[in-house]
Amino acid sequence: MLFRSAAVSCGGEKVGAIIEVEGLTKVYARGIVAVKEVTFAVEEGEIFGFLGPNGAGKSTTIMMLTTLIKPTAGRAFVAGFDVVREPGRVRLCIGYVSQELAVDDNLSGRDNLFLQAGFYHLPRGEARARCDELLKMMGLYERADDLVETYSGGMRKRLDIACGLIHRPKVLFLDEPTVGLDTQTRHQIWGYIKALREKYGMTIFMTTHYMEEADALCDRIAIIDRGVIKAVGAPAALKDRLGGDVVTLRFKEAPAEKIREAVAALEGLAGVRGVKHQDGDCFIVARGGGELIPQIFQVLQPLGVGVERVTLKRPSLDDVYLYYTGRELRDETGSKEEAMRARMLMRRVRGA
Amino acid sequence: MTVLSDIYYVCWREMKRFWQHKPRILVVVFQPLVWLVLMGNMMSGLTSNPFASRMLGVERYIDFMTPGVMIMTALFGGIFSGVSLLWDRRIGFLSKMLVAPVSRVAIPVGKMLATAMQGAIQVAVIALVALFLGVKFKTGLGGFLCLLFIAALFCFAMAGVSLSVAIWVKTIEGLHPILNFFTMPMVFSSNAIFPEAAMPSWLRVVSAWNPLSYAVTAMRALIVEGWAWGKILSGLMVTLLFAFAMVLVATCQFKRSLG
Repeated sequence: MLFRSAAVSCGGEKVGAIIEVEGLTKVYARGIVAVKEVTFAVEEGEIFGFLGPNGAGKSTTIMMLTTLIKPTAGRAFVAGFDVVREPGRVRLCIGYVSQELAVDDNLSGRDNLFLQAGFYHLPRGEARARCDELLKMMGLYERADDLVETYSGGMRKRLDIACGLIHRPKVLFLDEPTVGLDTQTRHQIWGYIKALREKYGMTIFMTTHYMEEADALCDRIAIIDRGVIKAVGAPAALKDRLGGDVVTLRFKEAPAEKIREAVAALEGLAGVRGVKHQDGDCFIVARGGGELIPQIFQVLQPLGVGVERVTLKRPSLDDVYLYYTGRELRDETGSKEEAMRARMLMRRVRGA
Repeated sequence: MTVLSDIYYVCWREMKRFWQHKPRILVVVFQPLVWLVLMGNMMSGLTSNPFASRMLGVERYIDFMTPGVMIMTALFGGIFSGVSLLWDRRIGFLSKMLVAPVSRVAIPVGKMLATAMQGAIQVAVIALVALFLGVKFKTGLGGFLCLLFIAALFCFAMAGVSLSVAIWVKTIEGLHPILNFFTMPMVFSSNAIFPEAAMPSWLRVVSAWNPLSYAVTAMRALIVEGWAWGKILSGLMVTLLFAFAMVLVATCQFKRSLG
């Protein structure tokens, strides 16, 4: 199997969570605090997501965990190794897929993978075998010997992910895995990411600024804003903390007396946290709104109160984000070089 | 020795890219050919003047000019090496290499080595054309290989200069004007195209400090004089020293840029 051998070559003296971060801080030149005393842990086999806008400190965190930059303060362990003291060992255990589509357009897909195998010092025979295996798995085998400049954005992303898997890492870091891709391609990439975890039990640490992506993929997410973690938990649990679902009822014409009775009865239902009535519209905040709807009808029928319309709204991660950070997802501007990179990325994603 | 393996793979990538773009090879070779064919012939009248001929030390100007054009090719081939590093950084490929357990020394050195090999290929093409134009290589194949080595070594060193400047400048847009600023003075303050004897004294001093002068003197000796060991060895030593220094500077700069 593809990822069995990793367990032998990886694993330091520290046991427990596969990623452990304590008080991690990064201060750039001119005193810009990109990440501020971040603490979290990721369990083996988990898909853990960092959710936040561009400039929130997601990429900086990933760069510290992948040994690309040194933290200003705090400690971080990946697969049991200290990212500052033992970067060489960390590098052997991790795969990194940056948001930039870092594949060489002037090489074929196969050559890109073969080169990556060389960087990890795999013997040639082994390297060729793994290249074939990954090309097949990522659905690129038929186009393997074409130059990457002829690939579509989605194919490049798949190749880039394959590159991150060539040495069978324990932990895969995905920085904005679907940024700039169209919806269809995005769903396809999600499928590949889920398959990776299901097949190999690989731990995946990812960042995203797409709510649906965090919701669809992550077991747990951390909401990060201006370098600070605002909340950590399963997407469902985070939404739950907002108070739960909202069921909205529109009553049919009925005497005020009956309506009051109905509202009182609804407040008595299990799981209901609050009921508000306003001009014939009744808002019910509850945990598990879907299961509540049949009960609502059971209660209302004997009272003789009819219902014209029912709507159920679950809180989205957008609401969660708004709740914890007090603002909508917004991107911050960067340097000119960053802008150039972003433009390059867009061109490459579109397969130009 | 994982460093050697890493250098090999960095270099392998650059060479693959080089062969992938065959039109680019033509473009790079075309410019020196223009120099050789047009300027070499335009100035051919020069050598009919016995005074000028003595100053140049050759019977035909094109003999004098061939090593000059070769060294210019090596110079231009080397000087744009830094662009590839900045490009790698822009598309994220550099991070990809840095996340892998690739030796930090191997990245600049591998690129320099690949640039030197590409330079050698271009110089060899020019040599073929020069042969066709009637330039005689006095030292034969052995001398030609020695010449190719010096040119490649010079190209290697210039790649180091380029990488060091690139790391310092950080953007491709900023790098180009600086490199253009470098190259022309470096050519014209040497004896690549005009003999030292024709220079004013101050320029002769500059030329004596220009490593390009030593490389081209050795190469010229190999073509028009024969095994003139004094010139050849001093050219070889200076170029080696230059190359060695640039390896140090480029790798230190590169490592420092990683923080």
